[in-house]
Amino acid sequence: MTLQFLLNGLIEGSMIGLGAIGVTLTYAILRFSNFAHGDFMAWGAYSTLMLVGLIGSAVGTVAPIGPLSFGWPLILAGLGGMVFTGCLALLLDWLLFARLRARGQAIVVVMASFGASMALRNLLEFAFTSSPTYFSRKIQIARPIGLGIRITPDQTVLLGMTLVLVVGMHLLMTYSRTGREMKAVSQNPALARVVGIDLDRIVRMTWLIGGALASAAGLMVGVLVQIRPLMGLDMLLPMFAAAILGGIGSVPGAVLGGLVIGLSQAASVQLVGAEWRQAVAFVILVAVLLVRPTGLFGVQER
Amino acid sequence: MAAMLETDGLVAGYEPGLPIVRGASIRVEPQEIVVILGPNWAGKSSLIKAIAGLVPISGGAVRLAGAEITRVPAHRMVQAGLAFVPQTENVFPLLSVQDNLRVSAGGLPRAETAARIEEMFALFPDLARQRRLMAGSLSGGQRQMLAAARALIVRPRVLMLDEPSAGLSPKFVEMVFARLAEIRRGGVTVVLVEQNARAALAIGDRAYVLVEGRVAHEAPAATLWDDPVVAELYLGQRSDGGGR
Ligand SMILES: Nc1ncnc2c1ncn2[C@@H]1O[C@H](COP(=O)(O)OP(=O)(O)OP(=O)(O)O)[C@@H](O)[C@H]1O
Ligand SMILES: [Mg+2]
Repeated sequence: MTLQFLLNGLIEGSMIGLGAIGVTLTYAILRFSNFAHGDFMAWGAYSTLMLVGLIGSAVGTVAPIGPLSFGWPLILAGLGGMVFTGCLALLLDWLLFARLRARGQAIVVVMASFGASMALRNLLEFAFTSSPTYFSRKIQIARPIGLGIRITPDQTVLLGMTLVLVVGMHLLMTYSRTGREMKAVSQNPALARVVGIDLDRIVRMTWLIGGALASAAGLMVGVLVQIRPLMGLDMLLPMFAAAILGGIGSVPGAVLGGLVIGLSQAASVQLVGAEWRQAVAFVILVAVLLVRPTGLFGVQER
Repeated sequence: MAAMLETDGLVAGYEPGLPIVRGASIRVEPQEIVVILGPNWAGKSSLIKAIAGLVPISGGAVRLAGAEITRVPAHRMVQAGLAFVPQTENVFPLLSVQDNLRVSAGGLPRAETAARIEEMFALFPDLARQRRLMAGSLSGGQRQMLAAARALIVRPRVLMLDEPSAGLSPKFVEMVFARLAEIRRGGVTVVLVEQNARAALAIGDRAYVLVEGRVAHEAPAATLWDDPVVAELYLGQRSDGGGR
């Protein structure tokens, strides 16, 4: 038995956690499960890929940074992808969810997100086929960091990116006006309006943030694994399990939930075999719902 | 001179074709305390919620200091100078006392917000000791104080409260009404919906009795209590002293 699964779990957990932040915020503020959230990840990865291509055709080949598999174009394109995906989420809300929300039936919005998910996925398959693609095919050398664990330079940098995004999100939620307003809306939307909070602005912020973080997660999966139209769908269950395990509405909870699920998945591969990996998130999801539906950081609704 | 707050034949309701407020006209002069009484289901809460922009208005008008605010979205009322304290769920339970005030101060500069929070703590010293506590863990009376502080922090011209004394112990009821009298002396116009009529009329200037969504009676607070018309409107409910 090696401890490599710890690192693998940490990386998987980071991808899940970044996605789960968007899931948990959408659920807390808009009160519906957005099943299209996984597809934001895939759209984030593909839009980043497109932008890398665009930058490449404008400036020619760019050498990778040090031992990494990518150069500055990917960093720039990653940021562009976050903006693009945030705007995609906004557009989807404006075209679809906002109209249905106005009629007031939550289940209709959930079903619509199923439909949106399918449409988004099919569009990607149509445009890029369903076969996987990569940001780079360069082989990376994993370096030992002790205890039999090895890590590649790409993994190190992307874990760092996750840390920066998560800490940034936590600071935003805790110390900024927007963060406080988001919490207020999630606790009592009617009172939020009474105290002068513009609900529409908070909803827009939620989509922008959720979409952007999903795109970052997509970038991470794309660099470390591969890019496929189905990449987001595969992450959907782990992301929801993480959001619920962490407690709906809690950003640190979603991240911690993601790490727990990522580590459990990686451990299960090692302990019981890879075929069980997919079941882990489901088991954890059901267990949380049965034992502590409010999750780790959740608080009982009034 | 224009009234501070005025509704003119206001019609409002939750569903189309089902008006709950059915042509209510009230007029509140600057720095008055006006009490709105009425039997259960009369539409008192619906009336002030409609004024606050929370219930769809289908007819009539609302004016604040002469400016029409009918159908102004709820989140702009604060800017217009109108603050509202709902009857229940009137604080954010999972924000600290301090953050409840902060989130209600809106986009004021940081220093100004901090100064106003201290101002509110001076007005409600009980809250100052609990500033880092989650609002959800406050007692009923303290929560009512926080709800009032939350509304006052924006320095409104008009403060509307929906049954601020409901469910409070007599000690807190007395405190709440004493505070309201003080707030009015500070220049704020107060509209008060109350079941606890005796206590409300003691600090109020004038009162309206609302029945089935319309104003059925209007009188100075001092004489209203002894008015036989009022006893009739309440259908004998008054015999319990107006309390719940
Ligand atoms: N959110 C709502 N949706 C639909 N109808 C409502 C809603 N709130 C109140 N009503 C209806 O409006 C009517 C008047 O209620 P309202 O709460 O305004 O009366 P009230 O005078 O404040 O009564 P109380 O003394 O019990 O507080 C009632 O028939 C009630 O059923
Ligand atoms: Mg009421």
